[in-house]
Amino acid sequence: MRKIFSIALGIIAAIGGFVDIGDIVFNVAAGAVFGYQLLWAVVIGVGGIITYAEMCGRVAAVSEKAVFDVVRERLGFSVGLVTLVAGQLVNLLTLAAEIGGVALTLQFLSGLPYRLLLVLGVFALFVVLWAMPFSWIERIFGYGGLALLVFVVAAIKLNPDWGSVAHGFVPSTGSGNGVVYAYYVVGLIGAAMIPYEVYFYSSGAVEERWRPKDLGINRANALIGYALGGLLSFALMISAGALLLPRGIHADLFGTVSLVAASPIGQLGLILALVGTLFAVSGAAIDSAFSGGYNIAQFFGWEWGKYRHNAGAPRFTIAWSVMLILAFLIVVTGVDPILVTEFSVIFAVVALPLTYLPIFLVANDRAYMGRYANGVLGNIFGGLYLVIILVIAVVAIPLLIASNMGQG
Amino acid sequence: MNIKGEIDLGLGVLDHQLIDSEDHRCGKVDDLELEGVREGNPRVRAIVTGAGGWRGRGRVGRLLAALVHTKTVFIPWEEVAEVGAEIRLRRTAAELGLGRGRDAAARWVEKVPGSSL
Repeated sequence: MRKIFSIALGIIAAIGGFVDIGDIVFNVAAGAVFGYQLLWAVVIGVGGIITYAEMCGRVAAVSEKAVFDVVRERLGFSVGLVTLVAGQLVNLLTLAAEIGGVALTLQFLSGLPYRLLLVLGVFALFVVLWAMPFSWIERIFGYGGLALLVFVVAAIKLNPDWGSVAHGFVPSTGSGNGVVYAYYVVGLIGAAMIPYEVYFYSSGAVEERWRPKDLGINRANALIGYALGGLLSFALMISAGALLLPRGIHADLFGTVSLVAASPIGQLGLILALVGTLFAVSGAAIDSAFSGGYNIAQFFGWEWGKYRHNAGAPRFTIAWSVMLILAFLIVVTGVDPILVTEFSVIFAVVALPLTYLPIFLVANDRAYMGRYANGVLGNIFGGLYLVIILVIAVVAIPLLIASNMGQG
Repeated sequence: MNIKGEIDLGLGVLDHQLIDSEDHRCGKVDDLELEGVREGNPRVRAIVTGAGGWRGRGRVGRLLAALVHTKTVFIPWEEVAEVGAEIRLRRTAAELGLGRGRDAAARWVEKVPGSSL
């Protein structure tokens, strides 16, 4: 009973931890411009993160290796180092975007100056990362993020045309500007499959010393946690489609997102939306900062992990601190966090194949994995998603330029 | 040494994690020093870890070694206790001369309050 309880808690934390600023920005913007037409792209993205998170968790449980151990062993030093640099740049952009999102949300709540809140927000994140045990961080921010479920209520209360919603789950070429539509397809898939999630997930699995007996938990976390997390993405897009599209409102400002919940539910909706956003985006900031530390420590073989105290894994501690400082320096210039978010997602897409290919290779290697190697289903989905991410990686930057960052 | 069956040096040893006798992560197998290759009797003499090991790993490795100076450590193969998912060593990192980067970083981190949390 206690075990079931603990598994359920883990899944709940995964739901609240799924959404980050990339999901919020792309789902709301896509809803505002294309209504429900792009729901299918979210399904593809969520399927991808489920497939690869499960694979990373399984590799971690069986071989006790996290993503960048595997990247280096499989791709070798040179290609591995290029992957590390690309992964770290994407992590840094993601972290900068999340920090900006934290400050914007705090500004909405308090009305204080943005830069002051940026300083306070980063300091608070540092204290949490420095002093709080791993399991607390995961739970507190995961549960807090559940306040975003207010968007599910909002989506239902807005009474959308459910026929059109259902139609949105069928892949189509869409109506309207084709290039902008394609840009959003890439962005939505990229936002769902953002690589820090698997870096963090697999490192967490090694840190919590998962073993093959934990593979059931791994499957449940990945499958149920991420699928229900995807529900939040649907809710964001559906409420934006029902509320913003008919009124011709573009979601250029981050605050628009919370107003989407305020319109059908009132002030309580607004507060829940802001609190949920604050926890979800702070949690993502913490995960991406840690991922920066994990990646470099795993590549060079340093001691890493929150289970060793700060001075016990000193280079890991310095690595995530430096990530946090650099990300702060990016957003304190005053660059628009929404702009940073879009760049972070599009560049993440370009780096995706180098992250997921080595995982796929190792998950197939029976010398490491024995009877836990990929089965037929794992290989069909794994292979399919490799093709998808290769295609979107190639078209991502051309689409970014051709669509004028989705502005048409 | 606890080695069962054949081991592929390229896939099973190179770039793998080094773990010392106290269970601490202490670097990667950055390169391997072989001997007796010309004589037709090749064997691994030592594990190379640090910048000197990166130099033999292509252009990117040479570039990094030129930019970042770390001490190169040669670990005689006799010090290897076990080759599994990780390479386990018979002695502590400090005894093998592997702890310098870690110790230098620890001195910085220890200056901040709560570093043992």
